[in-house]
Amino acid sequence: MSKVSAAGVEFREMDELAAQESAIHALHPLIKLLVTLAYIIVVVSFPKYALSGLSVMVLYPILIFQASGIPVRTCFHKLRVVMPLVCAVGLLNPFFDRVPLLYLGNLAVSGGVISMITLMLKGIFSLMASFLLVATTKMDALCAALRKLHIPSILVTLLLLTYRYIAVMIEEISIMTDAYHLRAPGQKGIHISAWGSFLGQLLLRSMDRADELYQSMQLRGFCGNFYYADSTPCTLGAAMYGVLWVGAFLLARCFDLPLLLGNLFL
Amino acid sequence: MIRFEQVSFAYEKDAPVLQELTFDIGEGEAVGLIGANGAGKSTLMKILLGLLPYEGTVTVDGMRVEKKNLAEIRKKLGFVLQDSDNQMFMPTVYEDMMFAPRNYGLSKEEAEQRVDRTLEELGLMDLKHRYNHKISGGEKRMAAIATILAMEPQVILMDEPSTALDPVNRRTVIRTINDLTMTKLIASHDLDMILDTCDRVILLSHGCLAADGPAEQILRDQKLLEANRMELPFCLAGPQRQR
Amino acid sequence: MHMADALVAPAVAATMYTASAVTAGVSVHKLRKDDSAQKLPTMAVMSALVFAGQMINYTIPGTGSSGHMCGGMMLTALLGPQAGFLSMIVILAIQCLFFADGGLLALGANIWNMGFYGCFVGYYLIYRPIMRSRWFSRMSAKAASRLKLTIASILGCVITLQLGAFSVVLETSISGITELPFGMFVGIMQPIHLAIGLVEGLITTAVLLFVHETRPELLMDVGTSDQPVSGKCSLKTTLVILAVVVAIAGGGLSLIASSNPDGLEWSMFGNAEAGYSENMGLDEDDFGVDSAAADKAAAIQEKTAFLPDYAFSNSDSPAGTTVSGLVGSAIVAAAALLICLLGGFFRRKRKQKQS
Repeated sequence: MSKVSAAGVEFREMDELAAQESAIHALHPLIKLLVTLAYIIVVVSFPKYALSGLSVMVLYPILIFQASGIPVRTCFHKLRVVMPLVCAVGLLNPFFDRVPLLYLGNLAVSGGVISMITLMLKGIFSLMASFLLVATTKMDALCAALRKLHIPSILVTLLLLTYRYIAVMIEEISIMTDAYHLRAPGQKGIHISAWGSFLGQLLLRSMDRADELYQSMQLRGFCGNFYYADSTPCTLGAAMYGVLWVGAFLLARCFDLPLLLGNLFL
Repeated sequence: MIRFEQVSFAYEKDAPVLQELTFDIGEGEAVGLIGANGAGKSTLMKILLGLLPYEGTVTVDGMRVEKKNLAEIRKKLGFVLQDSDNQMFMPTVYEDMMFAPRNYGLSKEEAEQRVDRTLEELGLMDLKHRYNHKISGGEKRMAAIATILAMEPQVILMDEPSTALDPVNRRTVIRTINDLTMTKLIASHDLDMILDTCDRVILLSHGCLAADGPAEQILRDQKLLEANRMELPFCLAGPQRQR
Repeated sequence: MHMADALVAPAVAATMYTASAVTAGVSVHKLRKDDSAQKLPTMAVMSALVFAGQMINYTIPGTGSSGHMCGGMMLTALLGPQAGFLSMIVILAIQCLFFADGGLLALGANIWNMGFYGCFVGYYLIYRPIMRSRWFSRMSAKAASRLKLTIASILGCVITLQLGAFSVVLETSISGITELPFGMFVGIMQPIHLAIGLVEGLITTAVLLFVHETRPELLMDVGTSDQPVSGKCSLKTTLVILAVVVAIAGGGLSLIASSNPDGLEWSMFGNAEAGYSENMGLDEDDFGVDSAAADKAAAIQEKTAFLPDYAFSNSDSPAGTTVSGLVGSAIVAAAALLICLLGGFFRRKRKQKQS
């Protein structure tokens, strides 16, 4: 399967996840968006050696995974390409920061190692949080949430339309690449002689498509304004959910909870 | 309902696409628009919809198709595009169906009722919250028709409604068209479908009116059809149609 | 080039979000004024095209590898800077949400690094001046604009990618994330992105030349070199707006940098006590390993304690702290495992009930 059609499959799979039903899926999208942002901000704001404090943050994604019924496996499978890149960022830290920070028996662990692990965890946690947001929220609901945040309608509309046409484009490009490779076996990519025309042809066709698309909008009374599917009203319960999580995040950020917990036992 | 009087059009000078077309379509008529590729079928529809400037007079319900009447006229006309992907631009079927009613000033509740009613009538309730990029070609065509019907137009225009459908889906589309009571104008090369759905046929040839009459009569005229790069419909040709 | 969330500090992320939001606001305003309803479908289809087009592999002649494009320059040439910028925002947002390419928090920074330079700098400072210049005026108009298009595309891609890469380095360093010294980081990022920019430039050139041959009216500023420059006033206002936006971004970043001695200042302006200014990316042998020890220990104490007074109150030594931290973390891990098991248990039970 080519890269393009694989992307198409990924795209559809995300939609399918978002279309499932669970308490998390049913939550107000704006609350989910804000909680996700708060989570990522708090995670990222942990100092670079605060490994133990950070570790408690794993509970949020774990809980959401369980409550939404989305398998953790799916998340890691989907993010298999990005994960190593995110983890690679801190790989050099142990070489630059060799001050021993803690001793496990005779083994000295340097600050670089700690900060590397912390950085990797930060990356993985934020990835999981964004993934959970998209996996439990439909695109139209997310756009409605963005409108509630007063993002200009032109931008939100553009997002909706682009989202719709990515599926169409992916399909067209995968047909074109297949057609190309059927006549050019053994070539890994597009040969330089076709660099311009390959995408260019599609580009011209797309321009015509855009014209027709605009006409079909005009014919149905479009005059510059989009009406959004209003999502469920934001209930007190949803607001409470948001407040509770943000409170929990702040608590975890201000107090090194695992450390305090450990102290109880030592 | 629709009146074309001496209508001409050309993209470039000296290459007229339509020449002095004159015809009438009465209320409730079902008219098939046929002709070879490039005969001017799509252009005719675009002119009727006010998407192209033209010479002559086109009127819908007594109003001339011109800028100041466009909003009023377009409200009466529903156009089903050949490529459903270009028509269904919202993520879900539901949102796409809400698009026109909301633009025409219906409240959310009214629009929603209309969407539900339309889907119910077409038996498409299960499509309501599906994503437009995830439904099959046949479903997409039906959904596209549904989005136009949700406008409750007085005239429905269709460009090749039966292409790229399997026989069962094609039948469904034909049955749906036959169930509609409004004025219909259907452009197609699928003459069997035209025969099944229309009682009158307009045949275009190089931008001119080559024939205009009862479908039964024109679609049986083998000579006329073959002179215009067409063949007898399968159901009329019988086993002798061979080439 | 897509930055992950872990690469930016919240303050840097917020600054970049602000800068990108201001630019977006200005763009939206401009498009509204021009009544862009008609442009919307074109923008959407083009964004979708660029998004999907990024997955095409282009074979680079003479090498076994392949290149991709990221599209900022192409969108600008076809849609203009404002519409191009909004398209880039949408592309990056979808990449971030659906393909985890770049983080949600880092989105503002990514929009800036890839959208702002590619669209605004690329258009106003590179593409438009070149396309409107009288270069090659001795040749036929068509050949001249073909050559100008080539130069503008390649230069535009290379320069804007360099700016973007440098911004990545800057933002990461100011965030105090990586231990990689600033000079070395720059030394790695810039050459890599020079190569990427060249390839991208060539692909963009190829596509734009194709468009130029077939439908030149789609391109911005083609065949305008003889016309009087009508947008002179708008260029001025745009430049002023750009300057303001850059000032906001720069001011915000430098504020953060100055309040964060561990970040950029630490590596770029040098911490003389720790001996960094001497070592900066040149002398790899003693990369501040010993000299920084004392500093580091203090920094660690400061850092492990968000509320400084409580950190060591329950234990005597830092070692003790870390051990109880380890124990606590282990308990957290056990709790996480328990939640997973319970979740699985309940789901199974519900399934049994249903069947």
